[in-house]
Amino acid sequence: MRSFIRRYPRMVIGASIILAVICLAIAAPILFPFSPWEMRGAPFEPPGSPGFILGSDALGRDIAAGLAHGTWVSLLIGGVSTLASLGIGISLGALAGYVGGRVDDAVMRFAEFFQTIPSFLLAILLVAIFRPSIFSIITAIALVSWPPVARVVRAEFLSLRKREFVQAAEVLGVSHFRIVWQTLLPNALPPVIVLGSLMVANAVLTESALSFLGLGDANWMSWGFLVGSGRSVIRIGWWISVLPGVAIVITVLGLNLLGEGLQTWLNPRLSKRDLP
Amino acid sequence: MTCKLLAVEQLSIGLPAYADRAQAVSKVSFSLGEGEILCVVGESGSGKSMIANSIMGLLSKELPVLGGRIELQGIDLLNQTPAQLRILRGSRMGMVFQEPMAALNPLMRIGDQIAEVFQVHGIACSQERVADLLRAVNLPDPEVLVRVYPHMLSGGQRQRVVIAMAIALEPSLLIADEPTTALDVTTQAQILKLIRDIQRRRNTGVLFITHDFGVVREIADRVIVMKDGELVEHGSADDVLERPLHDYTKKLLAAVPRPNMDAPRPRADRAILQASGLRKTYWRGSKEVAALNDISLDLRKGETIGLVGESGSGKSTLARTIVNLVTPDSGEIRFEGTDLRSLSRKQWKPFRKRIQFLFQDPFESLDPRRTVGDIISDGPIAHGTSAAEARAIAREKLQLVGLDPSAVVRWPHEFSGGQRQRIGIARALAMNAELLIADEPVSALDVSVQAQILDLLEGLRDKLGLSMLFITHDMRVAAQICDRIAVMKLGEIVEEAPARELLSNPQHPYTRMLIASVPGLAAGSVVGSAMETS
Repeated sequence: MRSFIRRYPRMVIGASIILAVICLAIAAPILFPFSPWEMRGAPFEPPGSPGFILGSDALGRDIAAGLAHGTWVSLLIGGVSTLASLGIGISLGALAGYVGGRVDDAVMRFAEFFQTIPSFLLAILLVAIFRPSIFSIITAIALVSWPPVARVVRAEFLSLRKREFVQAAEVLGVSHFRIVWQTLLPNALPPVIVLGSLMVANAVLTESALSFLGLGDANWMSWGFLVGSGRSVIRIGWWISVLPGVAIVITVLGLNLLGEGLQTWLNPRLSKRDLP
Repeated sequence: MTCKLLAVEQLSIGLPAYADRAQAVSKVSFSLGEGEILCVVGESGSGKSMIANSIMGLLSKELPVLGGRIELQGIDLLNQTPAQLRILRGSRMGMVFQEPMAALNPLMRIGDQIAEVFQVHGIACSQERVADLLRAVNLPDPEVLVRVYPHMLSGGQRQRVVIAMAIALEPSLLIADEPTTALDVTTQAQILKLIRDIQRRRNTGVLFITHDFGVVREIADRVIVMKDGELVEHGSADDVLERPLHDYTKKLLAAVPRPNMDAPRPRADRAILQASGLRKTYWRGSKEVAALNDISLDLRKGETIGLVGESGSGKSTLARTIVNLVTPDSGEIRFEGTDLRSLSRKQWKPFRKRIQFLFQDPFESLDPRRTVGDIISDGPIAHGTSAAEARAIAREKLQLVGLDPSAVVRWPHEFSGGQRQRIGIARALAMNAELLIADEPVSALDVSVQAQILDLLEGLRDKLGLSMLFITHDMRVAAQICDRIAVMKLGEIVEEAPARELLSNPQHPYTRMLIASVPGLAAGSVVGSAMETS
């Protein structure tokens, strides 16, 4: 264990941060057993005041409670939208890489269509059209972030298809589905896992940015909303914007460290794991 | 013996802690005289390349020299500063590597690369001098060549350029680390001759590292045999090759493939595989390359046909065409009378059981993420066998190829190259195939392992009545295992005959050249004598 920490310090730090964030999300209803929207006292109480460890906002709401409850939204949107875009990206990438030819061309042009539009603008547009809700935010983020996944999976499939062990399966008469499912996918997955962890970070940022612009789900407290609500009163209560901002930075940093660590761990050429 | 050029005394080189033995090279001593060719022979992992790298001062930090001395013309090479070594490299000792493409800078013109050798040693270099060098390694049109890039040359031409660079400053020692292993056999013969010429003309001492006893016979004055980092035998080429003392040397020599001297097996009447008029062309840029040009083949039941050719002859394309990994442009492939080309993927499936394929690279052809049992069960499961039954088949086939049935739960990376090739054979035989297409199945293996796999294939063929199409670049291997040999060149079969007939009385000039290029043949040796009498 100690040698593992020494070898992959980034991954251990990243994983610890993410674990702590998840714990905070789970503990939120226990630590703050009230709605984060509830007015609990005087407005603009600085951090450390009695009853408000992290201060209160312009309406006297507890920032600490908002932060803890907001964790849910960040994790939920980060996780679900990433899973959804991995689903879309892996399916389309696998299809393009395995079938090749015109199907490949069609899928890649379709992916380019999404990639040429600035993804955040497209996300704003989609959320505005669907009306802001947690579902529409997840859909928008998933729709704008799948093309890189499809590209990575396609490239892996193209190179794997030429490998002899894949041709061996072909010669044995193994069906297309089984070749994809048990031979190609497991070998193509490591770079996708790395990409996935970085996509979660991106989704957290996108959600915060949408909430900041007022396009968040009004039923859920979120970090981006807190940053946005403190924007106009930043001279009076800096903590209202800064503390949720710090939470976003730490979470995204953790996810990035985890992603980088996974990359060295899963790539035998970068890690010494495979040496006897 | 002539004047002593290089002396290696009690040389020991360490290995990192995770290696399978303590020292890469332990207490090796030998010497090399001026104008002498010393061959270092051994299998992969024997430490033979380490010796070359330690002389050149090219060992990585993980491989420290633990003890001993290396002296070149009285200079202690192990106690030189990096700057002093840099001066010695090139001027006193030159090196030729295995992979000529990797040894040349792909972004630099040939002339500039050769001129660079002079420049780094502070010697003025004229166009004339570069051209002379290119002529010295028998490259045509030096004036044109100096301006081309490495990728525009063939493998043999690239290796000549590398040799030209190594001998540019007329070093007294030339180290050649498997310089012909990546080359075709006819090219190999030319490069060996070139090295021999240079050694004679300039009285250069050559340290030649190889795994091939045919090459040793061709070029060596003296031989040292390495095993697991230790020097096991040392002597003149004649002594070592004809009267080996050490068991390991005897074993290696016995493993060199030699023509089968048994009476030819009778040819069956029934054809199992018939190909006719097969054509396949590839587009390379705007150039059309014919990989298969009107190929016809008739493989009888129980027969083994060897398909011999150099790289680019189309032999692998032909093998892959038969199992439908490559679609031919035209022609017919009949398996026991059924035309395979007209079949849909579904109609092909029953034939998948009967026609199997053995791949060249045992490290590439097994899925690294699945257990050996899963890999072998793939075929039976794809054809409707239950998982439990397939597992039983896997155990049985592992035993058939001489592995322990408990290997089913282990991973491919736990096995050596030869064992992996056995697993590949078990996979191909899991559905009781009748026809085995073997694409260079022993080319990636050490000679002793190669002999074991050939024996195994031969035994299985006789036991199971397999028919085989055996693709190889090595005439010696084909001569050992095949009933008939077909010689391929540039997409065409130029000659096909019973193995013995083809070897003793080749008709086509290309076949004659191939046979003449088999290393060790001209000198008359273990390989040659057997082949000449056949």
